[in-house]
Parts: sequence; structure tokens; C-alpha cells
Amino acid sequence: MSETHEAPVVRENLWMKVLRTAGVPLLSVVLAMAIGSIIIAASGKDPVLAFGALLKGAFGSPEQWQIGNFRAFGDTISRATPLAFAGLAIAFGFRANLFNIGANGQLLLGAVTAAFLGLVLGGQPTWVAIPLILIGAALAGAAWAFIPAILKAKVGAHEVITTMMFSWIALYLTSWIISGPLKDAAGNSQTPMLPQAVWLPTMDQLLPAVFRTPVRAHLGFIIAVGLAVLVWWILKKTTLGYGVRAVGFNQWAAQNGGISIAITTVYALCISGALAGLAGASEVLGVQHRMFDEVSAGSGFGFTGIAVALLAKNHPIAVIFSAILFGALSAGAGMMQLTANVPDKIIMIVQALIIFFVGAETVITWFIKRRQKLALEREGDSDVA
Amino acid sequence: MWLSFLTPDLFASAIRMATPLALAAIGGTICERSGVVNIALEGMMLVGAFFGVVVTLATGNVWLGVVAAIVAGVLLSAIHAFASVTLRMDQVVSGTALNILALGLTGFLMEVIYGHPGATNGIAHKIGPVFNFPTGGTGVLATIWSWVDQIVFSYTPIVYVAIIIAIVAQWAMYRTRWGLRLRALGEHPRAADTVGVRVQAGRYVAVLISGALGGLAGANLTLEQVGVFSDNMTSGRGFIALAANIFGRWTPVGSYLASLLFGFAEAIEIRMQSFQQGNQIPVQFFLMLPYVLVVIVLAGFMGRAVGPAAIGKPYEKE
Repeated sequence: MSETHEAPVVRENLWMKVLRTAGVPLLSVVLAMAIGSIIIAASGKDPVLAFGALLKGAFGSPEQWQIGNFRAFGDTISRATPLAFAGLAIAFGFRANLFNIGANGQLLLGAVTAAFLGLVLGGQPTWVAIPLILIGAALAGAAWAFIPAILKAKVGAHEVITTMMFSWIALYLTSWIISGPLKDAAGNSQTPMLPQAVWLPTMDQLLPAVFRTPVRAHLGFIIAVGLAVLVWWILKKTTLGYGVRAVGFNQWAAQNGGISIAITTVYALCISGALAGLAGASEVLGVQHRMFDEVSAGSGFGFTGIAVALLAKNHPIAVIFSAILFGALSAGAGMMQLTANVPDKIIMIVQALIIFFVGAETVITWFIKRRQKLALEREGDSDVA
Repeated sequence: MWLSFLTPDLFASAIRMATPLALAAIGGTICERSGVVNIALEGMMLVGAFFGVVVTLATGNVWLGVVAAIVAGVLLSAIHAFASVTLRMDQVVSGTALNILALGLTGFLMEVIYGHPGATNGIAHKIGPVFNFPTGGTGVLATIWSWVDQIVFSYTPIVYVAIIIAIVAQWAMYRTRWGLRLRALGEHPRAADTVGVRVQAGRYVAVLISGALGGLAGANLTLEQVGVFSDNMTSGRGFIALAANIFGRWTPVGSYLASLLFGFAEAIEIRMQSFQQGNQIPVQFFLMLPYVLVVIVLAGFMGRAVGPAAIGKPYEKE
């Protein structure tokens, strides 16, 4: 059903299609940045200096690239990694018409599970330990989404409220775990450092020929790209994916077609939770190498994931590019604060504006198309008359 | 032990804690009854709480702070109204954008104005209780009077205002022409339109009212309760308020009573933290309590609650 819906009237090549679908998101980003600049200028700071610093912080400079120093870009990719997982999680939910606004809770459960399993499995060979940890974190995320999923399927409790409540519960639960049972030897509110065997290798370890100086970007990003392709494939080619899209597109039609809305809802929200759990695991195994309160305080990830998914129009492959954009904003924000003295919170404002414009633009394009259609119908009427 | 736990002060605390939830919940009720979902209540509380403090600090007048809080909430809700009524944008997406905008804007301005992240400066004087009756003395009568004083006369103005608003809104919703029209907008906008009710204007008014109430809820948090604004200090209250609105079956008085339940959970949480000797139970488990209660209430109640029929659906004139 949604196949026919997506099929364009005129056959167009891939590039035309990309340009047509990416036009609105790109315009939204530009508009949001423009308003962000106005806000920066209004607060008495220099927007040109600010965004210049942001670009440098996010991508580095040509002099650095020449000597194989991709530290800045590595930071962008490392910030983009949890955002890509979280973006995939939220996009998958949206495809089934479910808004997993509490993805952050599942992310935290994934993170703390990864830290726990990392400490337990640290003595095992890397190729055994890391897959097991990732599976464990995904299951933890899925489990945290399970109750909201069941409540949605059985009694219709709105997932926006329940996942949000579960996200706050997760915040306090993980805060207790890392300050209680899993606290480090010094008694700080953080887990002990994980053994190096379970750290995700960084890009300079994987590709020393390209990255000649250490970077933060790690294997997690490659896993995220692989998962994006897998999610795309699941949505496009499997019965489960068909069910998810059918339920998201039209519940009644899906039900009449023999798809169980309840079961699809539970699957979709749990898979979404699993992806969010991996976001937490990748941050713990790839960047922090322990779980501490900052991982939860940087609770940006789950919420920024919403912006990532919406900007990508819930397309799994587009999520990767969208995540890189938000990763760049986040990585550049530090340099911007340092150089131009602009509070890094401006990034959140830009994020909100992007969500707003993408949402509004979709409506606007839909509106234009509808007007054209109505005009055509009117012409048809006058012909008959 | 339990007798000393259930003091009049606990009930008074529950009513205080319920106030911001109730104001936002009633705002949510009015908004959703008109057919517009408002998950941006969280953001409206947040900007209200922030600008209340900013204006109070700038002018030295806490009442101007309250006005500023309401104006801030209304302005944010105007964006939501424009997006969801005029642009017919997805209401949940607009609400999400506004929540993030509120979080970013308050954090950004905090650093610009006060030069440090995390929290604003504190205000010199919070709004005090309305009544100041003398208590004290001994004997049964004096004890009973002190209880009455605590449960009935110990509150700050917005606490009383919230109760009045709940009653007035209930009356307006079921006993006035405006209320009838409001309910029609959310149940069957096309029918309302057919008989001459201006659907879009009606929805604008409802969304703006919810913004005003959200802003007032924020003012209660900072200007009456805490006295300072800190990052993300609403901590999910906007969403709890939405749950209270559902549990209160989309009625103002019901919303108030449901908020009272969640406020009671918060009061118990605070009391238990200070009540336990030593640290047998980690503080985090108390902090979880209100959120857990919301989930339990929704799980037990949800199947029987039916919301407005046209909720979340943009209306387009034929």
C-alpha cells in the first residue's frame, strides 16, 4: 500500500529524487542557522566568528588535514555515533506511528548494562565480549521499552507520556546503580574503568594510514552505518517491516489486511528501544569507557535523536547524514563557546528550529500539492459544465 | 510512626506540589478539549519559570515577574497555535520543537544574562503566604486551629488561584456558551463549523489559555516555591500534567484532583527522604516515585478513558 503511495508520478533518476526529498531539510537547516545567527547577534556576539569557530571545531582546518590530523572531524563522528543509533531508534518508532520520546531512558539502560557486562566479560576475548555486550545492551533497551509498548497495545496509554515517565525512572535508576552497586573503588558516582579488551577500537587504530593522529571516532560509527542499512532492509523487504509501515500508514487498513496492531506496536517499540540501548552502549564502550553521571547529564542524545530522525524524514540511511550534521553542531559548539563566547545552548535552539521547519515545510509542500490538485479538479469541473 | 508521618503539613505540602501540575493540567484539558494536543506544556512552564525570575530580578517586583511568566507562556503557545491550527503541522512535532526550544532558550539566555550556566541568581523575596493568622497556645482547640491553619490558610496566592481556576474552568466548560463551543471543537469541528462556530479562532484561544496557565505554573515553581531557576527544573511536570488531564477525564476539576494525587506522591517522596534514619533506602528510589505512580495510574485507568474525538487532527475548512 505504501509502495504505491511512495512511487513518484514521473520517473526520475536517483539524484533528482535525493534533491527533491533533501531540499526541504537542507532549507530548514539553512533557515535555522540564519535565525540562530540573528539570536547570536542580538545577544551582542559575532555570528560570523561564532559559526567560523563552529566549523573549525567540527571539521578542523586544511593545515591539520595535510598532516593526517582529523581530530576535529573525529569528534564530529564520535558525537554523531550515539545520535545515529538514537535517530534510528526514533525513526523506526515513527514508521509505526509511535513516538518514542523517552528513548533517552532506554539509552541509559543500555549504557549501564554495557558498563556492567564490560566489567563482567572483561577477561574474555574481545570478539566474544563486545558482541555479547552489545546484545545485552540492546536487550536492556528493548526491555525498558517493553512496558510502555504493552501499555500502548493493551490499554492505549499514550507512549509519549509513558516512555517519558520511564525515561525519568531510568535516570534515577541508573544514577543509583552507578552510585551504589557499581560505584568505583574511590566511591565516586561512576563505574570503574572498563578493561581495554572491551573498548571499541578507534578509527586511528583501524585505519592508521588515513588517521595519523589519535581521533575519538570509533568502530561504533561503522556499526551504526551497518545497522542503518539493516533497518532500511527490514523496513523495505521483510514482513515485519511491511507490518510496521502498514500500521504507521493506516491502522484500519493494516488491521483489515490481517496485521495485528498490538503485536506490531510491541515489536516496533521494543526494536526502537533496542536501537536506543545500543546508543548508550556505543558511548560507553567507544568514548567514555565507563558509565558516569555525565553520560546521563548529556541526556541530549535521546532528545537530539528526535531531531535527527525528523530531519531525515525517518529514512534510515538519511539518519546517518542527519546524525553527522547534529554531531558537527555538537562537536563545534565547544570551540564556538571558547572562541566567540557564545553559549553552546544555541545549538539546542537551532535544533528546535530545524525540527520546526522540517515539520512545517512538509505541511507546506503538502498544502501546495493539494492546492494544485484542487485547481486541476476545478478545471475538470468547468470542462464538464 | 505513621501518625507522626501523616501530619497536616504533609497534606499542605501535597496541595503545594499539586499546584503547578494542576495549572498545567487544566491548560492541557482546555487545549485538548478544543482538539489540539499540547505536549509543549513542559516548555511553557519552563519559560514561565525562567522569565518570572528574570523580570523579578530586573525590576525588583515579583508581581511583574508573575505577569512576565504568563506572557512568556502565552508567546510560546502562540507559536504552537500558529503551527498546529494555521499551518496544520503535526501537533506532537510542534510541541517537541517548542520543548527543546524552551530548554535551549532558557539555558542560552541564562548564560548571556547572568554569565554562568546551571542556574540563575536567586530572587530576594519569594511570594509569601496570603494569610498570616497567629497560631500557638496549648490545648485541643489550639491544635485543631493550627491544623486548619496549615491545611487551609498556609498557602501562597497562586495555590488559591489554581483552585479558583479549576472551579471557574469547570463551570465555564459545562455551563457557558463558550464551553459548549469549545467541546464541540474537539468532538466534531465540522459540525461546529456548520453552525457558525469559528473553529480556528476557538482553537487559538484554547491554546493561548493553556500557555497562560503553563506560564503561571512556572511562576508558582520559581517565584513561590524555589526562588531560583535551574536548568530543566520542570523535570517532566508538563508530561505528568498531561497524564493528570487524562486521569481527570479531560475535565478541569478532575485534572485538579488527579494533580493532587501526583502532588501527594511528590510530598511523600520529599517527606520520606527526610524521615528515614540513615540511608537505608537510596534517595533515587524516592525520586522515582511520582513517575512510577503516573505509569501505574495510566495502566489501570487508561482503557476506560475516552478523549475528545477530534483530538490531534488539524481542521481544514471545506
